[in-house]
Amino acid sequence: METLDIALPQMAMLYGLCLLPWILLWLIGLRLSRDIGISILRMSIQLILVGIYLKTLFMLNNPWLNGLWILVMLIVADLSILKRAGLKARYFALATFTAIASSILFSTAYLVILVIQPTHFYDARYIVPLAGMILGNCLQGNVIALERFYSALRKNENEYATFLMLGATRWEAVRPFFRDAIKAAINPTIASMATMGLVSLPGMMTGQILGGSEPWLAVKYQIAIMICIFTSTTIACIINLKFSLAIAFNAFDVLKDEVINKP
Amino acid sequence: MPPIIRFDQVSVTAHEKVILSNVSFALFQGEKAALFGKSGSGKSSVLRTLLGLHPLQSGSVYFQEKPLTSVSIQTIRSCTAYIGQEPVLGAETVREALLLPFQFKVHRQYRPTDSQLIEVLQRLQLPPDILNQQSNRISGGEKQRIALARGLLLGKTLYLLDEVTSALDAQSKQAVFEVFSDPQLTVLSVAHDPEWLQHCGIIFELDAGRLTEMKRHGNT
Repeated sequence: METLDIALPQMAMLYGLCLLPWILLWLIGLRLSRDIGISILRMSIQLILVGIYLKTLFMLNNPWLNGLWILVMLIVADLSILKRAGLKARYFALATFTAIASSILFSTAYLVILVIQPTHFYDARYIVPLAGMILGNCLQGNVIALERFYSALRKNENEYATFLMLGATRWEAVRPFFRDAIKAAINPTIASMATMGLVSLPGMMTGQILGGSEPWLAVKYQIAIMICIFTSTTIACIINLKFSLAIAFNAFDVLKDEVINKP
Repeated sequence: MPPIIRFDQVSVTAHEKVILSNVSFALFQGEKAALFGKSGSGKSSVLRTLLGLHPLQSGSVYFQEKPLTSVSIQTIRSCTAYIGQEPVLGAETVREALLLPFQFKVHRQYRPTDSQLIEVLQRLQLPPDILNQQSNRISGGEKQRIALARGLLLGKTLYLLDEVTSALDAQSKQAVFEVFSDPQLTVLSVAHDPEWLQHCGIIFELDAGRLTEMKRHGNT
């Protein structure tokens, strides 16, 4: 079963659909034309470039080139996580990179090598989209984990100091904040798994069905990707927060001011 | 006998502001001292510096004649009880708050019994049924005494108190004075309360981060 192509005039028609929300926003007094325009333009250019790159990547199917693409994705994700979490990249970049790289490589390798088993484990058709999807979700989780943890620690500085004064080690004193941050980071994935298929049809499954796959096959891939997202998000968040503890505190267990970006 | 606490020409800067400047003093075992001065004069910073919460810019802090370092800070914290104006109890009920430090590895083997909890509460004029109350439902004065009870249960010998009598009635205050009449307990406090100051043998006066005066009188 072939997926129907969308011709250029129809694509133009699609952009026309944006006029409707644009008019509605303008009517309620929200002047977001510039932001919406930039976002649609960026999305289009970025996806066109990705399309060109992926086409080349699939055509060459070179393990080094595929690896390089994943490395670029990891570096961009690393810097994006730290920027959105309000932490300084020069202190945390290596820790965050190690956390996300190890969890993404582990779960993608597990999925591709042990579960899907393509002829070549480095097959771009599998590893690039799967690693990208897992990384995208992992990124959200890590932003929440780091942001929640360090903002809770600053907000509850007295509570943290009290635990230290009562004999807690640094790890014992941060543990309540650590648990809350991990819970907040993985909750969206847990909620998403619990309602999957009921509230919305997941994007990957919809894409596969539109691409001509049998629904049953699409379901199996969706389950696989959700399990990998959950696993890698949990692993990455725990490693990331744990590593950050060695960087963010001074020898007296006090949170260093200089590691956090001023709001 | 060497002093328990010694500040030697200590200067501390935080957020590019001098908060302590060349502060020197010593406190011996069993002494009760008060830091006195205007708001922002650096009184609480003296306590926080001793607990390693402010990095030293210059000078040295000694605890039992050992310099304050990242290693010795664990010993200082394990011997010291810090009780602020609004103590954090860190647990849902009073019982859980009292037992909180006994969850930490360093105190795990000393978990007190209920009768020991009640005994300490009674010393501080607190009724036994407060054990089951929610921590967020008790008054500021009760919170201060619960924090103090926690220090007593841990067998702490050095007490750093920040306006600890600020929310206490006369009877509770008397109970606190009686607790600190123990010659084994050393107290360094931040205080404005004249009654508390009377119970302190030493008064250190601070102004803009400098120790300007030290008065000693009969009570220790």
